[in-house]
Amino acid sequence: MKKSKYLKRNRDPYHGIKVTLGIIIAILFVAPIIWMIFVSIKPDGFTTTQPLAWFLPPFTFSNYTNLLFDSLILRWTLNSFVIALITTILTLIITSLAAFALSQMQFRFKKTIFIFFLIGLMIPGEATIIPLYEIVKSLNLLDSYPGLILPMIASPLGVIILKSFFDGVPKEVIESAIIDGCSKFKLYYKIVLPLAKPALAAIGIFTFIGSWNNFLWPFLSVLSESLYTLPIGIPLFNSAYTTAYVLPMAANAIASIPVIIIFLIFEKQIVQGISFSGIKG
Amino acid sequence: MKKKLWAQDLKAIPFLLPFFIAYLVFTIFPIFKGLEMSLYDWTLIRKLEFVGLDNYQKMLGDPHFWKTLWNTTLFVILTTPAMLILSLVLALLANMKSKFTTFLRGSYFIPSILSVSVISFLAIFMLQPYNGLINTVLHTIGIEAEPFWMADKALAWLTIVIVTLWWSVGFNMILFLAGLQDIPESLYEASEIDGATGWEKFRYITLPQLRPIGKIILLLQILASYKVFAQILLITGGGPGGGTRPIIQYIYEVGFRQNNLGYAAAMSYALFFILLILSVIQLRNQKEER
Repeated sequence: MKKSKYLKRNRDPYHGIKVTLGIIIAILFVAPIIWMIFVSIKPDGFTTTQPLAWFLPPFTFSNYTNLLFDSLILRWTLNSFVIALITTILTLIITSLAAFALSQMQFRFKKTIFIFFLIGLMIPGEATIIPLYEIVKSLNLLDSYPGLILPMIASPLGVIILKSFFDGVPKEVIESAIIDGCSKFKLYYKIVLPLAKPALAAIGIFTFIGSWNNFLWPFLSVLSESLYTLPIGIPLFNSAYTTAYVLPMAANAIASIPVIIIFLIFEKQIVQGISFSGIKG
Repeated sequence: MKKKLWAQDLKAIPFLLPFFIAYLVFTIFPIFKGLEMSLYDWTLIRKLEFVGLDNYQKMLGDPHFWKTLWNTTLFVILTTPAMLILSLVLALLANMKSKFTTFLRGSYFIPSILSVSVISFLAIFMLQPYNGLINTVLHTIGIEAEPFWMADKALAWLTIVIVTLWWSVGFNMILFLAGLQDIPESLYEASEIDGATGWEKFRYITLPQLRPIGKIILLLQILASYKVFAQILLITGGGPGGGTRPIIQYIYEVGFRQNNLGYAAAMSYALFFILLILSVIQLRNQKEER
């Protein structure tokens, strides 16, 4: 089997050309990011009309220290991180609890409740953002951490993915736990959750990156600069027709480096998670 | 018997309740609240008088509404076919067996994890006239033109489309990649015995096998593109002359700058129904494919 694949690969006369094309496109895809990193370590105010000069010394890291100490960017990074983390944890807790009930418990109106959650898949958040603003306002949560977090945690897609995952837990495992006198909560916490780690990881990573990059809701609901998240704060460094690139680019780099690191660590889970949720959801 | 049922229901409640409340308050209730708001004169500060369907009537006669709805639709038309083709091509390239496979997959996907603010400002700085990266590269290779990318409507659209493709094609690529890996190897082996060429294998095996996932990507893409807002706001601000302004930006401006949440809510409903219809088609299609 392995051998036949190997043979086939060599049989394609265009293999070399295709790989080369793939590499050229890959370089084009990462070039802007690499350019961003190089610009971000140029001396402040540096500008050039020679493209190559961006990638050659002089370099300095003083932009980073300047930004980190003299602007609110550290605060915004912290805000983004705390909000993404709490959003992720709360989402995982409430979706897995609901999914557990729908998958492993018997109660009346179970089907109705499941369909009620399914409806959520069809409701586009962008189109209900005006009333959402009004609701969060009347709860006195505008311009606050809970106001940024709570509206984002009820993910019906998460419930549905986890339910189908919990459904796949072998019946024998569940039954023997019940015979051992496991309570429902213990069954959830000790047996089902550990088995669902891959699904939880996928949902968790997506919730985190989604929250980290969320633009529209913080853009509408946050007023105080000290409560800004990175996506809302970054644009303050950039004004449309400026010729000063370096400092804004360093701010962009600071906003990007954490997610790039997360990506490099979790690449496999992210890739699997997308194909998983894309087909199922 | 009845007592037992109650006991079971009670046990389920603590599991269901936290999600149920959040879902009810922040997902379901906004739909009804929006309906109420759209029937009122409603400012950022408070609810004013009941105006019935006036907001909807105003919407139908509002040229900005139609213009921004058209701009959004144009964005969908411009991006969707390119997105499908590019993501398929990238998936095919990233599915080849070579020592670069991981590098290719990672490179195509990595822009999608960056914040919309970052990718938008990268685009602005790269496309800056006189000393932006793109224009200076153009000059270096002997093209002396000085395009003002954001000042010309066609160029502004081109910029938005290319930036959007670059930003989000990796996500769709991975869906196609998953589809490619699900195609049974035996199909290719059988066709090889029959002497099929590479193109024939692609045309008669790969493409038909990818149809289901292709349909899902198509619908998800249209759905996502109708929600376009941030990259256009940040790159062109909706300009030049409102030529790229999408519907969500107009809803935002009416609601928050013109202080008319009632009218903004009414227009949200138009968008809501477009997206709802697309979601229903998408979910139905997915059920069929399963």
